[in-house]
Amino acid sequence: MTKYLSSFKLALKQEFVYKLNFVLGRFRNIIHILVFFFLWSSVFDTTVGNHFGYTKSAMLTYAFLLILFRSITLSSKSGDIAGIISNGDLSNYLLKPISFFKYWLMRDFASKALHVIFSIFEIIILFIVLRPDIYLQTNPVNLLIFVYLCITAIFIFFNLLILTSFVPFWLPELGWGAQFLIVAIIVEFFSGAVFPLDIFPKIFFEILKFTPFPYLVYVPIKVYLGGSEINLIQSALISTLWVFILFRVTKIVWHKGLLVYDSSGR
Amino acid sequence: MEKAIIVDRLIKNFQISQKESGFVGFISSIANPTKKTIHALKGVSFTVQSGELVGFIGPNGAGKTTTMKILSGLIHPTSGFVSVLGFDPWEKSYDYLKKISLVMGQKNQLWWDLPVIDSFEFNKEIYEIPDKEYQKNLSDLVEILNVEDLLKTQVRKLSLGQRMKMELIASLIHKPEVMFLDEPTIGLDLVAQQALRDFIYEYNRKNGATIILTSHNMNDLIDLTRRVIVIDEGIIIYDGPLEDLSKKFAKEKIIKLTLEDEAKKEIFEGFGEIKKYSPREVSISVPRETTAFVAAEILQSIKLSDLSIEEPPIEDVIRRVFKGELAKEG
Amino acid sequence: MKEIRFIYYFKIWLVMAKNSFLGWIFKRGAIAIFLTGKLIRYFFYFLFLYFLTNQTQGFLGYTKDQILFFAVSYLFVDVAGQFFFRNVYTFRQLVISGDLDLILSKPTNSLFRVLMGGPDLLDLITIPPIIFLIFYFGTPVFSNFANVFYYSALLLNGLIISAAFHIFVLAFGVITLEVDNLVMIYRDILSMGRFPIDIYKEPIKSLLLVFVPIGIMTTVPAKAMIGLVSPVGVLSALIFGVSLFTLSTKFWQLALKKYTSASS
Repeated sequence: MTKYLSSFKLALKQEFVYKLNFVLGRFRNIIHILVFFFLWSSVFDTTVGNHFGYTKSAMLTYAFLLILFRSITLSSKSGDIAGIISNGDLSNYLLKPISFFKYWLMRDFASKALHVIFSIFEIIILFIVLRPDIYLQTNPVNLLIFVYLCITAIFIFFNLLILTSFVPFWLPELGWGAQFLIVAIIVEFFSGAVFPLDIFPKIFFEILKFTPFPYLVYVPIKVYLGGSEINLIQSALISTLWVFILFRVTKIVWHKGLLVYDSSGR
Repeated sequence: MEKAIIVDRLIKNFQISQKESGFVGFISSIANPTKKTIHALKGVSFTVQSGELVGFIGPNGAGKTTTMKILSGLIHPTSGFVSVLGFDPWEKSYDYLKKISLVMGQKNQLWWDLPVIDSFEFNKEIYEIPDKEYQKNLSDLVEILNVEDLLKTQVRKLSLGQRMKMELIASLIHKPEVMFLDEPTIGLDLVAQQALRDFIYEYNRKNGATIILTSHNMNDLIDLTRRVIVIDEGIIIYDGPLEDLSKKFAKEKIIKLTLEDEAKKEIFEGFGEIKKYSPREVSISVPRETTAFVAAEILQSIKLSDLSIEEPPIEDVIRRVFKGELAKEG
Repeated sequence: MKEIRFIYYFKIWLVMAKNSFLGWIFKRGAIAIFLTGKLIRYFFYFLFLYFLTNQTQGFLGYTKDQILFFAVSYLFVDVAGQFFFRNVYTFRQLVISGDLDLILSKPTNSLFRVLMGGPDLLDLITIPPIIFLIFYFGTPVFSNFANVFYYSALLLNGLIISAAFHIFVLAFGVITLEVDNLVMIYRDILSMGRFPIDIYKEPIKSLLLVFVPIGIMTTVPAKAMIGLVSPVGVLSALIFGVSLFTLSTKFWQLALKKYTSASS
């Protein structure tokens, strides 16, 4: 266990080496949130009534939770694996007496830990500056499932990233291209990280809820906000199922990939 | 002959701000930067005749590259006078830049992902070379360097030696009158080095181009240059024929002996440092000022069939130039 | 100042563009992926706008059509800027490796080469659809041809300001070697202009008009089209853009003077 603890520590240090990148990453995140926040403030301020089933305070709460969620689930390091596989550095990792998966999970945790700490400060500062009307959930059941969904979201995203990172086993020249497509595009939109999925017609979510994507951001936030659209138990079950399926698939693909990696002699 | 390059009392100082490590250091270095002045050139003067091929040598950090960069207009001298082909390089007039070329080993101007011919065509546009002239220059260069089959090859797929040849073609496609070659053979294998040297020699001879060459490669200098300028710590310590470098800097001379009868090594140990020994051939290195005296002594005590006194090999002197051992003596 | 030789530079630009496009031939798989990615992104972006404006029937006093027109105007400035100035993304490597020296020793304006030397094929492919969308969303907000003229001039002005931004980034890059992050920051801040900047509260709104004038690049042109900008406003926006551009080239000159080459 100590070796994973030390990879966690090492990963933390690594983040500090690239502190400028980190700080700028946070800056970009804040801009993203500001656009979301001000867009919806002005929508609610200059039009009549609620939109897409949100009151103004629910929508602005969504914005603030987004800061947190982009740190908890969507910040990660394991996307680097794609590059490691396509340039052949993977061999260095395979030689070490350490579980590849646990190592990267630790690196992810380190990254998330830092991002969460920063995002909490940002939330506080933005709260003081913007003084939004924030919705506070008090129902313990909702809160409990919200926390549970945060955890499943972390593992779902971890596996999605790793799975897309495995594409270079078969298509090394693609590098992180596949990842870009799946993670930077599909996940961004289908997870609810850019806008709430309620924007779309109802049928859209009814289909999407069987995929892993909405459980990364949208469903947990909706559970926090309460309301009747989301079935709490069903959500918890589906997301749990996805964690197991994805872990299994990742393992299988990993072993197949290693065979390919081996034979190509990279 | 007219002078192609005139450099007079050139001085270049660099201001280098010390970077502190860590975040606090970063902040404090913004608030209160500590600056250090580096005197790269301390009054350098020389002239180069048109058509000359001059070797410019010295240890690392002596100021060679700085001088080359000033000559090609990349950096501005702190003070002093520079004129190349009648131009002030720093003005970077395009008329001037069209007449010169700067080649730096291990620096790349070619389009990495494309067949190399595309890079040549790009330079054709940049230098506004008429079609006919371009075709002629290109085929000449390609022929001498023997790279006909590689023109359609992606640059990234070329070996370092092949790529360096292509860099040279790209740099010479506009037929520069003055070339600054900064370590052109660095990192190349022996065959490629030789090919490049032959080419530079030919180019200089055929086109009468003025060439300044810096190199840490002994053979580059011995094969190509008749005149060398030695710079060390920003000062020129020698400027003259390559052969005379030894005369100026060698503290020793070599006495070569051919013996009539075989003799043991120990006999010679008293005369000086034995450089080479076989039972009938001996070379001894002796201090320059005692050469005559030692030679006389040997003649008296040992039976010889031949004795000659020579300058030490030029390689030894150049090697000491590279190490920077000459500055203090010269 | 020397006379600028347009034909010479246009020819050079064409060759650079050709070379940069040819580079993509060797990465066909990447083209497919990145193009798909871009298209999906734009698709969802407009889908979102469609549902949003449909539900609200416009906000902030702007109609549904006007909001869409703001969005597509932003997109044009963003994508066209990327198309022309894509080479900036590779500048750091150029400085670190010292290859910049070889560019500086050539008889072509070096700023021109590092700024515009690598037009991006992918962006070129997406520009025609965006121009189509400008016409498509522009038709409902059309008022008169004077406004169309203002709009075009201001969009061009937006590109000039975009060039100025990129030049500032290059100049900073020469001094600090920091390029990639600065470009990304520029793009992120520019993305604040995807909606009319009136949505932002003070002091952010004023900052976006003067300090980082993305408002002038994105919102002002669209407003001019709608007829909300006076000729004086148009003129001052143009003057602002040109002066910013001049300032940036001055800054580049300054940075170059400080440049003493990475290796020596």
